[in-house]
Amino acid sequence: MASNAVSLYLDPQIRDWVLFPITLVMILVGILRHYVVILLQSPPKKLARNALREQRALVRSQVLRTTAAYSPLPPSFYSSISDDLTEAFASGTYLKDGAPKPGDTPAGPANPLTDPGAMDGMMAGMKTQMVMMVPQMVIMGWINFFFQGFVLIKLPFPLTLGFKSMLQRGIETPDMDVRWVSSLSWYFLNFFGLNGLYRLLLGNDNSADSSKDASATPFGAFNAAPAGPQDYNKLFKTEIDNLEFSNALYSWLGDDVEDRVLKRYNRLPKTKSR
Amino acid sequence: MSTAEQQAQQRIYPQNVLANASLLNVKFLSSCFAGAAAGILGLEKWSGAILFVLSTLLTSACIFFVNCKGRPGKYVHGGLVELVNPGQDNAFTFVLVWTLFYAIVHVYD
Repeated sequence: MASNAVSLYLDPQIRDWVLFPITLVMILVGILRHYVVILLQSPPKKLARNALREQRALVRSQVLRTTAAYSPLPPSFYSSISDDLTEAFASGTYLKDGAPKPGDTPAGPANPLTDPGAMDGMMAGMKTQMVMMVPQMVIMGWINFFFQGFVLIKLPFPLTLGFKSMLQRGIETPDMDVRWVSSLSWYFLNFFGLNGLYRLLLGNDNSADSSKDASATPFGAFNAAPAGPQDYNKLFKTEIDNLEFSNALYSWLGDDVEDRVLKRYNRLPKTKSR
Repeated sequence: MSTAEQQAQQRIYPQNVLANASLLNVKFLSSCFAGAAAGILGLEKWSGAILFVLSTLLTSACIFFVNCKGRPGKYVHGGLVELVNPGQDNAFTFVLVWTLFYAIVHVYD
């Protein structure tokens, strides 16, 4: 059936006992990894009411600002919320420990190494990293040990000679076409190709995705820590300025709604200059 | 869908954006089936890659005309480019499935 001069005939048992099992094992290990990561994640710490209130106050003013340009709030509502927040930020009523007394030096942000809360966040990040790496190493070792020394598959596309040493490891044939490869290359193909399947089975945020390994973990560990021990007093002060800026940007969606409705029904009085 | 005529980001309704993410699934499935087709047909080297490109274009054309009604900018955030782009994941999936079916059918593995 093959038209090229050198074509190997491979035992169908190789397909049954190597090809399918490797794929099946990798799929199952990926799913297992995803669920292990979910089980290992500790639930987020519940904050005290005061701490929660100061975070939420900041979020409220941010929401108000982002919707300011096409705001659904009529002017009276917008200005009353804005003034209220400005006053509260200025006097520090929402702060966790109450308004700062004059003469108090504000505490700097807690050192992440000593603050136990932030430490937990970093440990969680490192734990997930470990869980991701270990199964890959184990499977590679398993494949190298059991499925070594024979040709598994013929790639439909050619590769350069440089790949020969990696993909034909254990097969001592200097002349064989690079397209005949050993089981390790099947492992690599699966490693990259199964991400789409994981996304289909486990949803978008799955932890079995190997393409997200390199980019996600270095930043995730650092992002968790700084959010906690921040100086809310300073943040509130900047928020006051920001609220003033968005006051200038503010415009109500319903500003000229009467004219728009009239225009739609072609009843706009001709006396208005357009 | 409630995207605005202007570029007002606030007018995008998150639930609808999420519902439109089924686009990703369609791309994945189409790359799977294209891989199977390429493998079964015994396509090698460039013919396989060309099949992948053609299948991507065909899928995008179907979505463009049937679902997006000719206006991809209204339904997909990145517009036409994001609609057509299969993404790195799906390219690897195509290669995996292509190799698998090629091996099953043609190498009698």
